[in-house]
Amino acid sequence: LVSLLQALKSLRYCLYRKIELMTQQKVAIIGAGPAGLQSAISLAEMGFLVQIFEKEERSGGHLAHWHLLFPDMQPASEVLDALMQQALHPNIDIITGAEITTIKHFGGKWKLTNCDSMDYQADALIVASGFKLFNAGQKEEYGHGIYPSVVTSDELEALFNHQRQWPFNEKLKSPKIGLVHCVGSRDAKCGNLYCSKVCCVTAVKQAIELKKIFPAAQVYSFYMDMRMFGLGYEELYQQAQVDYKVQFIRGRLSEASPADYGRIQVKAEDTLMGRPLKLTLDMLVLMVGMTPSVVLSNGGLSVELKTQNIKAGFVKMSNGALGGSLRMKSGLFVTGACKGPATLPDVINDAKATALETRKYLKGVL
Amino acid sequence: MSNRSFGYSVSELRGINLDLEMPVELESLYLKEPSLRNCIACGNCAAVCSAGNYTGLQFYRLNVLASRGLLREMAKKAEACMLCGKCQMTCPRGVNIRHGILLMAQL
Repeated sequence: LVSLLQALKSLRYCLYRKIELMTQQKVAIIGAGPAGLQSAISLAEMGFLVQIFEKEERSGGHLAHWHLLFPDMQPASEVLDALMQQALHPNIDIITGAEITTIKHFGGKWKLTNCDSMDYQADALIVASGFKLFNAGQKEEYGHGIYPSVVTSDELEALFNHQRQWPFNEKLKSPKIGLVHCVGSRDAKCGNLYCSKVCCVTAVKQAIELKKIFPAAQVYSFYMDMRMFGLGYEELYQQAQVDYKVQFIRGRLSEASPADYGRIQVKAEDTLMGRPLKLTLDMLVLMVGMTPSVVLSNGGLSVELKTQNIKAGFVKMSNGALGGSLRMKSGLFVTGACKGPATLPDVINDAKATALETRKYLKGVL
Repeated sequence: MSNRSFGYSVSELRGINLDLEMPVELESLYLKEPSLRNCIACGNCAAVCSAGNYTGLQFYRLNVLASRGLLREMAKKAEACMLCGKCQMTCPRGVNIRHGILLMAQL
């Protein structure tokens, strides 16, 4: 009986969609991370039909494999579940495993295509493709991918989520763990001159989480500046330093080399002391920065979504301090972290604002 | 003929080796004056230090020396303090510097 009811429900839903489809304006969104989901939710609530394309097999973006969020230690799954719940709105449809390669403006509509010759048309398009994590292997001197004890901040989240094995013996009484800031950020050698903004506070959060799991651990954080820009971040930093006894050492790690028993020896200049420093660690965590996920290369009205290359840069917006998400007058919007490094609340707010701009555009009042 | 210098000399080992066991006195120093852990090495204490101009005393560096386990060096440098307390008035993190430095000098 339940399945019959469900079948009826979905039939009614199909009919409802059919009728609506003929009258409602459609918005296509590329990316089902927090930015894509939130702009879809806001637009669906305003009555528009939203089609999301997600290249991964599941929605949620990077949020889907994060453990806790700074600065309040809120579980990432709680936030994602809330978004997914709202995204069940009848006006929203999500196609996963669909990577869009070309977008074209033609006859007043945006045409989206991918390699599988899939074709979709919409009245407005929002690019919410987010960011890519910096490939730590590019910083060869840190040995990621060579020494198993060197992990990225993203892999540490997987450890917190019990999706990986600790690279050292868990029974170790006081493991020594180092966190390196600015891996792939503020580094001309990597082609990234910018600050990725969220890694400092993420390192502080991860240091605290590590101390909660291994209370006797010795945790060291190698930083150049502590960029604690948000409300509650500086307080979290102080908490890490005073209550959790995390040692903050000012100086960029020069290299990591193998030591006995799979351990890692690191060298850095302790710039507060003006002296070189060395230390052997059981695990080294690289705080990888954010890099652009797509490049929008405009040629006429056709825009190709290429993957990033060095110095590609995030999607540039032209409105300066006035902000906004409109990239092309013909209804192409860009939202979230594909415009540059951003925190989750930044992204959510940006997505809500983008939805309003899109509505204005569709109503012809932009 | 006098000794000729060839332009370089070898100093004592300057490197900091954090693999060495931390001295036991360090924990008791923090226990007696927990606010020492609050230091963010901003340098305000050194900027206002009356003794600093003539002795090179920089309190925040004593704190760094302590956290790196270099207590002997720290204690020696702490002796330069006149205990005037200006540093404490200016410390943005509310470190009880006078008490801290007194403990340091006594080590």
